[in-house]
Amino acid sequence: MSDSPRNPADPFDPNPAEHELEAHLQTRPMEINMGPSHPATHGTVRLKIVLDGETILKADPEIGFLHRGFQKSCENSTWTQVLPYTDRLNYVSALCNNFGYLAAVEKLIGLEIPERAQWIRVLGAELHRIHDHLTCVGAVSLELGGFAAFLYGLEARELVADRVTELTGARLTTSYGRIGGLNRDLPEGWTERLVKTLDKVRELCDEVDTILTRNRLFADRMRGTGIISAQEAMDYGFTGPCLRACGVDYDVRKANPYWTYDQVEFEVPVFQNGDNYDRYLMRIEELKQSDRIIRQVLKKMPAGPVLVDDWRIALPPKPDVYGSIEGVIAHFKLVMEGVQVPAGEVYHATESPNGELGWYIRSDGGGRPYKLHVRAPGFPILSGVPRMIEGKLLSDLIPTFDTVNMIGGEVEQ
Amino acid sequence: MSNDEKKAAAPTPPPAAPSKPQPKNPGFVTFTVDGKEVVAKPGTNMMEAVKQVGVEVPYYCYHPRLSVAANCRMCMVEVSNSPKLVPACQTPISEGLAVKTTTEKVAAQQKAVMEFLLLEHPVDCSICDQAGECKLQDYYMRYDFQPSRLTGEKVMKNKRKELGPEVVLDQERCVMCTRCVRFMKEVANEPQLGVFGRGKHEVIDTFPGQKLDSNYSVNTVDVCPVGALTYKDFRFRARSWFLSAAPSVCTGCSRGCNTWADFFGQDTYRYRPRENEAVNQSWMCNEGRLTYKALNEARVEKNTTGRGPEALVVTAQEAATAVAEKLKGASGVAVLASAALSNESLLAGLAFAKDALKAKAVYVGGRPSGKGDAFLMREDKNPNRKGLEAIARAYGLELKPFEELEKALDGNKVKALFAVGTEVPTDEAAFAKKAAKLELFVAVAQNASAVTAEATHLLGAVSHVEDEGTFTQGDGITQRFRRAYPARGDAQPVWKWISGLRAALGLEGSYGSSREAWKAHAASVPEFKEFNWDKMAPIAQRKPGTGINPLPTGSDGRPAGFREFNARPENAAAVVKGESR
Amino acid sequence: MSTFAFDKVAEKFPGAVLERYTDRAGGAWLVAARESITDVMSLLKNDPELDFKIFTSIDCVDRLLLPDSDPRFEVVYFLYSVKRKEHARVKVRVSEDDPTIPTITSVFVGANWWERFCWDFYGIKFLGHPDPRRILMYEEFKGHPLRKDYGLRDRQPLIPERPLKDLFRGPGTSGPAA
Repeated sequence: MSDSPRNPADPFDPNPAEHELEAHLQTRPMEINMGPSHPATHGTVRLKIVLDGETILKADPEIGFLHRGFQKSCENSTWTQVLPYTDRLNYVSALCNNFGYLAAVEKLIGLEIPERAQWIRVLGAELHRIHDHLTCVGAVSLELGGFAAFLYGLEARELVADRVTELTGARLTTSYGRIGGLNRDLPEGWTERLVKTLDKVRELCDEVDTILTRNRLFADRMRGTGIISAQEAMDYGFTGPCLRACGVDYDVRKANPYWTYDQVEFEVPVFQNGDNYDRYLMRIEELKQSDRIIRQVLKKMPAGPVLVDDWRIALPPKPDVYGSIEGVIAHFKLVMEGVQVPAGEVYHATESPNGELGWYIRSDGGGRPYKLHVRAPGFPILSGVPRMIEGKLLSDLIPTFDTVNMIGGEVEQ
Repeated sequence: MSNDEKKAAAPTPPPAAPSKPQPKNPGFVTFTVDGKEVVAKPGTNMMEAVKQVGVEVPYYCYHPRLSVAANCRMCMVEVSNSPKLVPACQTPISEGLAVKTTTEKVAAQQKAVMEFLLLEHPVDCSICDQAGECKLQDYYMRYDFQPSRLTGEKVMKNKRKELGPEVVLDQERCVMCTRCVRFMKEVANEPQLGVFGRGKHEVIDTFPGQKLDSNYSVNTVDVCPVGALTYKDFRFRARSWFLSAAPSVCTGCSRGCNTWADFFGQDTYRYRPRENEAVNQSWMCNEGRLTYKALNEARVEKNTTGRGPEALVVTAQEAATAVAEKLKGASGVAVLASAALSNESLLAGLAFAKDALKAKAVYVGGRPSGKGDAFLMREDKNPNRKGLEAIARAYGLELKPFEELEKALDGNKVKALFAVGTEVPTDEAAFAKKAAKLELFVAVAQNASAVTAEATHLLGAVSHVEDEGTFTQGDGITQRFRRAYPARGDAQPVWKWISGLRAALGLEGSYGSSREAWKAHAASVPEFKEFNWDKMAPIAQRKPGTGINPLPTGSDGRPAGFREFNARPENAAAVVKGESR
Repeated sequence: MSTFAFDKVAEKFPGAVLERYTDRAGGAWLVAARESITDVMSLLKNDPELDFKIFTSIDCVDRLLLPDSDPRFEVVYFLYSVKRKEHARVKVRVSEDDPTIPTITSVFVGANWWERFCWDFYGIKFLGHPDPRRILMYEEFKGHPLRKDYGLRDRQPLIPERPLKDLFRGPGTSGPAA
């Protein structure tokens, strides 16, 4: 057909030799490229995979497509201005990031926030834990072909998102909370609506549970795939559900309780196999625990202020700003220069839906962070994904990648 | 009095040493502040002594260069030899004294003083020039931070009291520290201000029939710790927290007062004096302050070739090529050098005159002389005459007075003129008429004038705040200034023009920065041997200081007015780099 | 955090401990000598009493603008012990002229990506690192963006598109390109 000689090294040669078209299944290693934009990668991550037949010989995740210079931006904004950036770390559980960051800053200041604010933070964090886990479970089901469970999961998630919207004013980018507490209290009648939502979410979760957990099609792809041993998981720095699925009982909420986690009753589910199925079950169980925590919070939460009454930390009420020199000074200084966080350093960890969300903060005594290190739980977990799938089938990659729940925003900062 | 002293001494435990303790460090006084040991010369102000060990005592009325008034009561500290709090600015230091600045008693005092000061203070921050560099704001956040407890009305005073041609007083904002009164009396030696009235109706005002018309009156605005005294020229023109400050030097006269050039985008908004004991202490004159206007107005921002209606706007590259072509064939090109240019510009410019134009002599340009006084202002209005002289001497160039150039022009002896700086000491219009006859008039000029209008080749030069460099002031002190923002328009630093011309003429030597221009030539100038260009650079303000320092950058960390920069990206990046260090 | 773990480190490797202090929030810190960071890490991990098995993270601080800025970089390590329910905070200081540290990937595989992160953003070289590439930025990027002397608004030119030689469309006959 063509006179030009065939270049065997060029895979894009438009004129392949006849025998190549009817070649047998290759057993030579083949390199394929998954992502950066691929339905199964959630965020934008590129996986360079070397395949031998259907076996993955080597996987090399390439990240950074969603890198936004999080740390550099934060170092150049005031402590309060950092808050919107934290929304965009794990954008499925923004409240956990908001509160985690604020808790770290407050720890550095040495600030005790009002009790009601602590309870609401627990409530918000658990609400977004439900939100995150529902998204994860729904996505697992979707990518393994179970569209119904995905829709149930998403319906429940949207109900939660509605309540979050009512609470914070935004569906995902919440920016809720301030240094020293919260920027606003719960809206009127919100708790009643929340209880109704939780009832409905529980119903839908049970539905998802029923559809998936004992489903042979689902379980066969999940059981025994993406296994990692406890030892290796710890070595890689796995935390959260991924670590607990391997049998290591580590949950920051229990190990080093913060806010009012020590005043609510809940269990930390632990599974033993460390495979995809256990990671999935972890999330289903945690959904139930979060539901339990929120119901307790609603019962136990006291009335009171939600923001500290200290004008060095929290903005004064508007009548004071407009009507008194003290108020206008405090407002001006807090907005223009930021909260003056004493010089020092702190590492503080909270439990986000995917694991330990750690903040290493360094202050030089000014209104802006000098250094803001975020230990996103997804980062070490993604680094362990090659270990979990190398030598396994290509089809195992999909559920594995789903159950580790990699979120581009936090991994790539 | 003696009774009081006995009472005071009674509760303190009897000292182990005899009544007069042996000094720990002979010749010095040793005492402790917050447990830290301080060694200071006898007679040192306690406020200054404790600064040595990093202890900060808040104050309004104290000023290191003014007499002590001790009327603001903000600096009260606890000392071991008095049962009551004492003002740190007024209390003499003594051997073995234990000063405490962080006790509850002190904190309560500071809180109370702040509350009293703010009691009658108007809610003005949003319209106040001082907002962002106000001590009331700083100290409120540090020592008071509580809501107002005032229930009644505030006292109303005059909010627009014109004290003089430059200064407007807002009597409501005043905290009665009397720094301005003391400044006028002690430093300016023109006691025009006084305190009138009593109690909360006390106000600052000029003496009857007088005006605050001293040439140093605006320093009262600088020493004012709050926004009571405002400078008419700066009033309501910029929000001070948006301004960045670059350490610079005033070019108004040969005193070379050290300044902060406060800028936003590519405009300078004001000069503030920067402390330098050897030159200007902490002050500068009103006349010098206004010289910042030349940095913004009537600038040569485009390069042209051709005169009058034939003038053609060209790029820097084209302009340099055109000039080089003309200079290649020309002989007997006279050189005019301005004493208002920086050393780097002159080093490069005169070296070019010597190498390329084979000049033996240089006509001295520069601004005409004016009034001087016994304090800061000099008669010579050129910041760098000493530098020009030193450089010409080192290069072996004869310096000829400007009048000789005029005579030569009258006698048609000069056909071509290469002017590095176009400031002239005589009447501009008259000289322009003479310059119109020149066949070739290459003018490297910062500001447009009648003279630059007659140039056949007009090359825009940057002002000193747009470049790094040095001036040698009248006493022979060489001082560095720092760049504030990138060059406006198509203007270039003189060394850059020279570098381009040298390249176009095929001459050796080019410079990539004013530093390189200095390094290339300064070694041959004996006056500059001792001067370490890099080490003498004043440190750019990096962080918001306390008191009256503006934020170094915009609140988001970018140079102030970054979005307004119309500079090329590479310039912008360079500015960011310069800022961040 | 109790000081038990670091007491043990100091006992075992007295030369490795340069400084110990407690931060504002009560966290105990250990400044380790650069050469012995691998030993310290392995002791923290493997000592049955300490059991700092969970590798938390590594990051770096550029101290350029801080009052105490010599040596310039501080690499911080965080570990967690499930048994002791606490984090271990270890830091190593390296100078600008010689920003190298032995890698701890032999002790914790998880350090791999974090060390790449420090190289990418601060230019800290980890000697013996198995995969010393950038991680979030692209290979052609010049400089290290989280250093304090890298301007917030500094820009770098676009890079030419890379050839897609390493990608195969379907089963091919030849092996993967280099």
